[in-house]
Amino acid sequence: MLSLRNLPFRNLKGYAGRTAALLIFAMLMTVAIFGGTMVIGGVRNGLETVESRLGADIMVTPSDAKNEFDAQTVLLQAEPGYFYMDRGKLDEIARVEGVEKVSPQLFMASAKAGCCSARLQMIAFDPASDFSIQPWIADTATDGEMGLMDVIVGSNVTVYEDRIIRFYDKECRIIGQFAPTGSTLDNCVYMNFDTVKELIEASFAKGLNIYSEYDPDNVISDVMIKVAPGADITAVAEAIQNQVSGVSVVTSKNMVSGIGDSLRHIAGSVSVFTVIFWIIGMLMTILIFTLMMNERKREFASLTAMGAGKGILSGIVTGEAFSVNLLGGIAGIVLSVVILSSFKNLIGQGLGVGFVLPSIATMLLLALVALLAVILTAAISSRIVIGKLSRMDASLVLKEGE
Amino acid sequence: MLIKAEGLKKDFPRAGKSSNFFTAVYPIDLELKAGQMIEITGRSGSGKSTLLNMISGMLTPTEGKVFLDDIDLYSLDEKALSRIRNEKIGLIPQGHTALLSLTVLENVLLPFILYNKEQAPEERAKELLEKVGISSLENARPNELSGGELRRMAIARSMLMRPGVILADEPTAGLDNENTLAVLELFRKAADEGAAILLVTHENEAANYADEVLTMDGGKLVE
Repeated sequence: MLSLRNLPFRNLKGYAGRTAALLIFAMLMTVAIFGGTMVIGGVRNGLETVESRLGADIMVTPSDAKNEFDAQTVLLQAEPGYFYMDRGKLDEIARVEGVEKVSPQLFMASAKAGCCSARLQMIAFDPASDFSIQPWIADTATDGEMGLMDVIVGSNVTVYEDRIIRFYDKECRIIGQFAPTGSTLDNCVYMNFDTVKELIEASFAKGLNIYSEYDPDNVISDVMIKVAPGADITAVAEAIQNQVSGVSVVTSKNMVSGIGDSLRHIAGSVSVFTVIFWIIGMLMTILIFTLMMNERKREFASLTAMGAGKGILSGIVTGEAFSVNLLGGIAGIVLSVVILSSFKNLIGQGLGVGFVLPSIATMLLLALVALLAVILTAAISSRIVIGKLSRMDASLVLKEGE
Repeated sequence: MLIKAEGLKKDFPRAGKSSNFFTAVYPIDLELKAGQMIEITGRSGSGKSTLLNMISGMLTPTEGKVFLDDIDLYSLDEKALSRIRNEKIGLIPQGHTALLSLTVLENVLLPFILYNKEQAPEERAKELLEKVGISSLENARPNELSGGELRRMAIARSMLMRPGVILADEPTAGLDNENTLAVLELFRKAADEGAAILLVTHENEAANYADEVLTMDGGKLVE
C-alpha cells in the first residue's frame, strides 16, 4: 500500500540504476572505514598474540643463522626454516649473570616431498625447562600428556579424522591444536625433543636435511631466556653476546620495537587509504544524490502543487538518503566481515604480519562508527538537496521545459 | 467556495539586470464562485499561467491578495498554505507531473497520502481514471503513457480530494477531440456539483462549457 512512509523506498526502487550507484559508494565508505580499521586492529591483535606467546625476554640463535633468521622472520613469515648450534651453548648461556631460566628449542622443517603431509615448521621444546610453550598448552584442550611421536599443531594445520600427521614417513599423533595467532606460529607443529630427534634422523636417512653432519643428540636451534627479576634485559643480552661465541641475541624489547614499527607503517598506509576511500565515497555519494535530486526537481515541484509542504519534501529526501546509505553501509560491513574472515590468512601473509580479527564487541563498535559515518554523509547530502528544494520556485520549475 | 483575487500583480527581474523588472501580470481583480467555470484564454506569454499560479498559492504576488473564502492565502505560513492547497485546491500544472517510480493509480492517490495515514481511496481513484478514460492504464508506469494520457492522469489526481477549487493550466493540451470534450464535460460536471473552476486554455471548445470567458493580453485581463 502506498504511504508517505514508504514513498522514499518506492523512489529508490524506481531509480534502480542510480540507487545501485549510491549503494556501491556507501558500501565503499564502510568497507574503507570498517574494513580498514579491522585490518589495523587485526594486525595489532596478531602481533600482540605473537608477542605474548613468545614468552621469553631474550632469544639466542646461532650467529651463522643470522642472515637467514631473525625472530620476526620466524614468527611472521611463511617459509619454514631450521639451523643448529652446539648444545653446549645452553650451559654457557645459563652461566651468564642475570639469566634466570633457559630452555632450548630445536627447529625442523618438513619437506615438500611425498613423505610429509605438508611443508611445516616443527618446533621441539624441552618439557622440563620450557616456560614459553607449555603455558599455552595448558590453555589448550589436549588428549593427555605429550609423549614420543605426539604433536600439538597450530590452527592452520589440517587435522584429519585419524589425527595422524606424517613427516619423513614417520607418523605422529595429533593430541591438540592451538588457537589462532595470525602468524606463522599457526603453521607450526610442536613436539618434544625425543620426537624431533626421530624426525631429524628420518630426514637424514632420506637425504632431505642439509645439516646431516650434526648429531641430533647434541644440537639445539635456539635458547629461550627469562632474565632474573630486576635484571636489565639489554645488559643481559649484551653479556650473552660478549661471553658466548657464535650466537646472535635478540631481546623481546627489540622485537616489540620492530613489531611496533611494522604496525605503525601498516597502520599508516591503511589509514591513508581509509581516509582517501571515505572521502571519495562521501563526495561521490553527495554528488550522485544531488544530481539525482536535480533531475527530479519537477517531481518535487509536482508534489508541491499537490500540497506537499517543505517538511514533507524534506522527509522524502531524508528518507531516501538515509535508507540508501544505511543499506549500503550495512552491506559494506557484511562484505568486510566476510572478506576479512575468509581471507585473513592471505591478508596476514600479504601484509607480512600476524593477523587476528578483533573481538565481536570491537567489531560491533567499529560497525557502529562506520554506520555513523555513512549517516553523516546521508545528512550532508540530504541537507544540500533540502536547501536547494527550499529555494526552488515550484511554479517556475513546472513551467520549464514545457 | 469563493476564491477572490484583489489587485494581483507580478513583476519578474529581467535576466542579468538586477535593477530592471518586467511586469508579467498587471493588477487584476478576479472572483470565482462555487459552481462557476471561468475560462482564461490568450496568447503564449500573456501572463495566464502566472495569474493561475498566484491564485493557487504557488507563486507569491508582487502586490495584491488572494482570498479563499475569508482566508488570505499569502498571510498563511508555508505549512498551512500547503495544507490548504492539498485539501481545497486541485491544481493541474502544465506538462507532465507524474512521479516516475509510481504507477498511474498510485500517482492519482498521491494527494491523499501526503497528510493521511488511512487506507487511500483506491475506488475513488479508479472511478476518476475511468472518467478520464485511462482506467486500463492504472498499473502502468508514467513512462509508458503518452503526453495526453499523462494530462488525463493529472486531471484525475486534481479531483481526488474533492477540492472546492480546481485550477487547470492547459488541461487538454495533447488530447484528441474526443478526450478533450470528455475532460471539459468532467470539469463542467464538477462545477455543476459546486466546484469553482478556472481553466487556462487555448482550446476553443472550452468556451462552450465555461460560464465566462476572459482573455489575457500583455498581462492584463480583458472581457
